[in-house]
Amino acid sequence: MLMDRETLEVDVLIVGGGPAGMSAALKLSQLQKERGGAPLAIAVLEKAREAGAHMLSGAVLDPSTLRQLVPDFKEKGAPLAAEVRDDRVFFLTRTSKLKFPITPPPLQNHGNYIISLNRFVKWLAGLVEAEGIDIFTGFPASEVLYEGDAVAGVRTGDRGIDKHGDRKPTFEPGVDIRAKVTIFADGVRGNMTKALVRRLALDAGRSPQLYAIGIKELWELPKDRLPPGTVIHTMGYPLRMEEFGGAFIYAMPDGLASVGFVAGLDYRDPMFDPHLTFQHFKQHPFTASILQGAQLVRYGAKALPEGGWHTIPRVYADGALIAGDAGGFLNSIRLKGIHLAMRTGMLAAESAFDAVRAGDASAARLKGYADAIDRSDVRRELYPVRNVHQSFSYGLLAGVAYSGLSLVTGGWWYRDPMPAHAGYERVAKIDEYYQDGKPDPDIPARPAKIDRQLTFDKLTNVHYSATRHTEDQPSHLIVHDTEICRTRCRTEYGNPCTRFCPAQVYEMVDAGDGTKKLQINASNCVHCKTCDIMDPYQVIDWVPPEGEGGPQYEGM
Amino acid sequence: MILVIAEQRGGKLNRATWETVAAAQQAGSPITIVVPGSGVDAVATEIAAAEAAEVIIVDSPALAEYTADGYVTALAAVIGEVTPDLVFLPHTYQTRDFAPALAARIGRALITDVTAIKKDGNSIAFVRPVFQGKLNADVQPAGPAPHLVTCQIGAFRADSAKTGSSAAQTRKSSVSVDASAIRQKPEAPFKETKQAVDLSQAERIVSVGRGIKGQEHLKIAQDLAAALGAEIAASRPICDAGWLPMDRQIGSSGQTVAPKLYVALGISGAIQHLVGMKGSKTIVAVNKDPEAPIFEIADYGIAGDLFEVVPALIAELNK
Repeated sequence: MLMDRETLEVDVLIVGGGPAGMSAALKLSQLQKERGGAPLAIAVLEKAREAGAHMLSGAVLDPSTLRQLVPDFKEKGAPLAAEVRDDRVFFLTRTSKLKFPITPPPLQNHGNYIISLNRFVKWLAGLVEAEGIDIFTGFPASEVLYEGDAVAGVRTGDRGIDKHGDRKPTFEPGVDIRAKVTIFADGVRGNMTKALVRRLALDAGRSPQLYAIGIKELWELPKDRLPPGTVIHTMGYPLRMEEFGGAFIYAMPDGLASVGFVAGLDYRDPMFDPHLTFQHFKQHPFTASILQGAQLVRYGAKALPEGGWHTIPRVYADGALIAGDAGGFLNSIRLKGIHLAMRTGMLAAESAFDAVRAGDASAARLKGYADAIDRSDVRRELYPVRNVHQSFSYGLLAGVAYSGLSLVTGGWWYRDPMPAHAGYERVAKIDEYYQDGKPDPDIPARPAKIDRQLTFDKLTNVHYSATRHTEDQPSHLIVHDTEICRTRCRTEYGNPCTRFCPAQVYEMVDAGDGTKKLQINASNCVHCKTCDIMDPYQVIDWVPPEGEGGPQYEGM
Repeated sequence: MILVIAEQRGGKLNRATWETVAAAQQAGSPITIVVPGSGVDAVATEIAAAEAAEVIIVDSPALAEYTADGYVTALAAVIGEVTPDLVFLPHTYQTRDFAPALAARIGRALITDVTAIKKDGNSIAFVRPVFQGKLNADVQPAGPAPHLVTCQIGAFRADSAKTGSSAAQTRKSSVSVDASAIRQKPEAPFKETKQAVDLSQAERIVSVGRGIKGQEHLKIAQDLAAALGAEIAASRPICDAGWLPMDRQIGSSGQTVAPKLYVALGISGAIQHLVGMKGSKTIVAVNKDPEAPIFEIADYGIAGDLFEVVPALIAELNK
């Protein structure tokens, strides 16, 4: 449809206002000051209504990168909630727990800080804005702009389209932002990076990316229940030996505690429900005693990129760089990605700055970014653990054994990369997994009692994510073939989207003729990307909804 | 003296005016009620039943159709004339259109969306929600009187408004409004959707949820609504399925209501629905599942099959 779109020209465009994007912006302003010259025009695009609103993580921050980016972070009031004082790892069985006598080295958090990523990114945003860099909140990127095969910028999403695709009186076309260098930092399974990788085959020769889903709740505990700085990780129950994941409890001041659960998105059981599994975790006597008398404050979920070094795509192209979770820079054995997002953001800033000054943003020049990553602490940290997540696809024992070994051998394996399949390919069909007795797809295979004090149903939880979307807009979950849902998927997998989505976006409802049909409750979406990742037929495309829509992860 | 601005449209008094009277009476006495419009004698008579010192009609052809300029001019003049300590208005869309301009015109403080009044001896504070309802703030107006206050719909109960032992004295104001000074030219009012209904004006509502099982069963809910003189409404799944239009939806993505009676049939009581109706004075819930969350806020709950309970209710009502 022909229309007049405004065009904005900048030198460097940063897509995504998370730790990677904000660090890139801040680093650019620092380079500007150090090296002088004509000021760079820089813009940051963020789909949330305000910086940090869509940020969710455990989280325990390794402050090494923060020290380099903002050496006076303490004076500048960095919101580091608590210094880690106590690190414990437990293996849970259904009724009891076994404490690991020594905390495994990768999970030792001495010198690290428990933070709320939402508050941390808000703080970074403040620093970025103080440098005079524009953060355009409420502006999702909907399309990559190309000139031939070179990235020329992005187009932001249109606003004011109704659910039938027609323009409302409030219609505003998206803006074309053209940039010499675009840094894609749009997070785990970022839709811009996904499209870019596909178009330019940036993942050629790389291993398939692997993911996990993190479901997190913020709780207010009774006074003195857990000393601030307590870090607890668990493995085992309620996951089975064939499933990757574990839980975390991080205690902050004022009785606030982050309680969460990570489940690998490569489980075999098609009836697996990560949200229900999290409820089972909370019902374990250990967790239940910690949460006794506590109040739920907030809920949210997000996917994590777990594949490691071999799954990171080529991170440079003509006019483009990829940083942060969008590239898969996460250390799955240390459970840390924020400092790596910040580091890659900083390195991308250096390459972008250099390219703009040299008037050359070609892939050949921007390759310097990938080389810098190879020489940096990013590779030093990620390379030795490059096969860790893949090893867990052979079972919990294999994974733990290999991980332990990798600490000594630097990750050696006779087949390197260790073979692994994308998670959605690993899900077994119902007939294969449930040999005797096919379960009813609409009834949980392993239900949990929901009491709305300790355990919650998805819909109640969604309320606590404060997620809001304009109702009258097209669904941003694009399911390319809903017929598959009611026919093939129902028989083969039992509609797993109704289980793996932590926000009850997908429901199979009566079609009125004895069959079921897919109903998409798009406004419940918390932007976790699990559906885009896990749908067995890969017919779901998550695209950003109208700007500003999504969760409000205050304190998460 | 507290001045209450009544709201009427086309000679019909907006129910929220009674809520505003109740709020004003809570704040102090005496109260005086102003009815702006054209040909609004009947409205004035209706509101004169309240316990008030007097009812003042501001009757002007220039006020026949609502305009911000017309109302600001008229009300600023009345306020100047009667010099109240406080001016109360209902927090309706219409009020939101002119109240800020009115406050600016007379240069006085305006406190909006008030849900409660706190009096402590001679000082008064108005409670209002802040940060999307996460916190409440007690706000004390500063500066010279009068201070303007708008009252959140449903926060004060219309039926707690005190009526007078006899009709309040009514008089016509001499305030005139110069039509040529009005900059707005109102067009004919229109509704976007064919049957847009304002459920917030209904005194009784019968609401259906998933428990109704099928569009063909809506009839028994409609029959109950008819027997009760109630409006029909629904929770989200019913509207998503198209069994009732979207303007009948109650909840966080629909309308918020606070009627005298809310009957919830086959509604489980998810938080998203509760936030739209928990201010209702009396809540009756019928649900097969005795553990349904709706029973936590219902005043009367029947754990049973609505297909048995509702016909029985209709039979009793028709006796």
